[in-house]
Amino acid sequence: MNEPLLAEVLFGVFALGSVLTGYRVFRTDSMVRAAFFLLASFAAVGGMLVILGAEFLGMVLILMMAGEMLIMAVVMVMFMMNPAGLNPMWMVHQHRVAVAAGVISFLAIASLGFLVEFPENLNPQPGMATTELGIELLGDSMLVFQTAGVLLLSTMIGAVAIASCRGRYGDAEEGAEEPVLELDGDAS
Amino acid sequence: MSPHLSPELAVLVVGIALAVGVYVVAVLDQAIGEQVGGARPRLQRVVLDPFRSSALLLIQQRRTTERTDAPGWLLAPALLMALAALALALVPLGPTEVAADPDTGFVIFAAAIAFVMIAVYLHGWSPNSVFPLHGAYRFGAQSLSSQMPFLLAMLATTLPAESLSIVDIVAAQESVWNVIRQPLGLPLYLIVGVAVSFWGPLNLPDAADLAGGTSAEDSGVARLMWKAARAAMLVAVAAMGATGFLGGWWGPWLPGAAWVILKTLALLILLVAAGHLLARVRIEGFVVVCWALLIPLALLNIFVSGAVLL
Repeated sequence: MNEPLLAEVLFGVFALGSVLTGYRVFRTDSMVRAAFFLLASFAAVGGMLVILGAEFLGMVLILMMAGEMLIMAVVMVMFMMNPAGLNPMWMVHQHRVAVAAGVISFLAIASLGFLVEFPENLNPQPGMATTELGIELLGDSMLVFQTAGVLLLSTMIGAVAIASCRGRYGDAEEGAEEPVLELDGDAS
Repeated sequence: MSPHLSPELAVLVVGIALAVGVYVVAVLDQAIGEQVGGARPRLQRVVLDPFRSSALLLIQQRRTTERTDAPGWLLAPALLMALAALALALVPLGPTEVAADPDTGFVIFAAAIAFVMIAVYLHGWSPNSVFPLHGAYRFGAQSLSSQMPFLLAMLATTLPAESLSIVDIVAAQESVWNVIRQPLGLPLYLIVGVAVSFWGPLNLPDAADLAGGTSAEDSGVARLMWKAARAAMLVAVAAMGATGFLGGWWGPWLPGAAWVILKTLALLILLVAAGHLLARVRIEGFVVVCWALLIPLALLNIFVSGAVLL
């Protein structure tokens, strides 16, 4: 199979796969499965980006989503008190509203594909996409990205500092200890 | 993104590297374990034991648990093995003898390492059993903490190369290996490499105190697959360490491929021996060390390397 045809076929597989796994996110009956389906969907989008020549962006998307979906699965199981997230449950609320919102936002985003004027040169030099991205990030858009980056970093450090064991309110386990049982009835 | 080896040859090379690597890890583990335990390792036993235990697992009865996630349970070892294959495919045996040399090689390696936690979490969660789930949660904490310093240590090697391509990273080490240029790099990489491939003192997700952790409910072929995939991941980590820090194919007298194999073997011996010589680490302490000590050190490594290059 020649390379352009292979790329077309792979693109189709990824596109169809991302939509199907995205659909399965809402039809599955377990939170952890939903997180893994969402991960598969994002990984397929990353694969599409790689085929379109945005190698770096595609691979970074796949890389970031692995960590994010794991954290999502862990936190969901933790908060839902559902042992291991394997008990069946509904993944959606307000079905009609959700379906309407989903269809409208899909159409809105899909319409962009017809409204936007795409550049003529769709086959840039190999590796140039990464270089151009670097120049963009550290050139014209440097202020925007550095501001957002430092803001996010300080938020993360702040969140860790608040949640850490030795926070400014003392040790984290202090509030969680059971009260001492006094047999003599001496409450103090 | 042009493969330098022909696709058929590339698949063959990666397949052989996986098979031989897994076997070498099993032999090393047995030999070092017996040596440390005070028994003189007997050649025949050490060489044949991996085959014996594999044959035993192949004919063992499969058992299952209640309400499992069967596809996930099947997928997890295959995913881990595929990630090891992906990482090994990026390791060059010579300037042109490489299965794949994409421009973003480092990012692809990072993505493979990030997906290890998906494989381990899937493996621990899908049997619907308490010890495996504990193991999965441990690995969540462990990998989220250890992957940052691991990838930051590896990221520093892209600075002298001024490229994310793995072949360029090795090519830039012709005069000085990165282990000398970035003295912090290799120790950091190895410490957290043990955690990333959950081996030795940091095998917390599959630890004996959890009756085997994520693999507590595995039996038969599935158990064999998981053990093989774990060993393959260790080989991938060692091979990438030899590539990123020990100069890959550079070396006198011998051909380049021989140097890559020798350096990988040296790192493998170090990693496997650590499992027998060091006490298992507690997860709470390890997480604190990662965030408070190893990540700042890895960042310092990057800043110093960048400053030296400027």
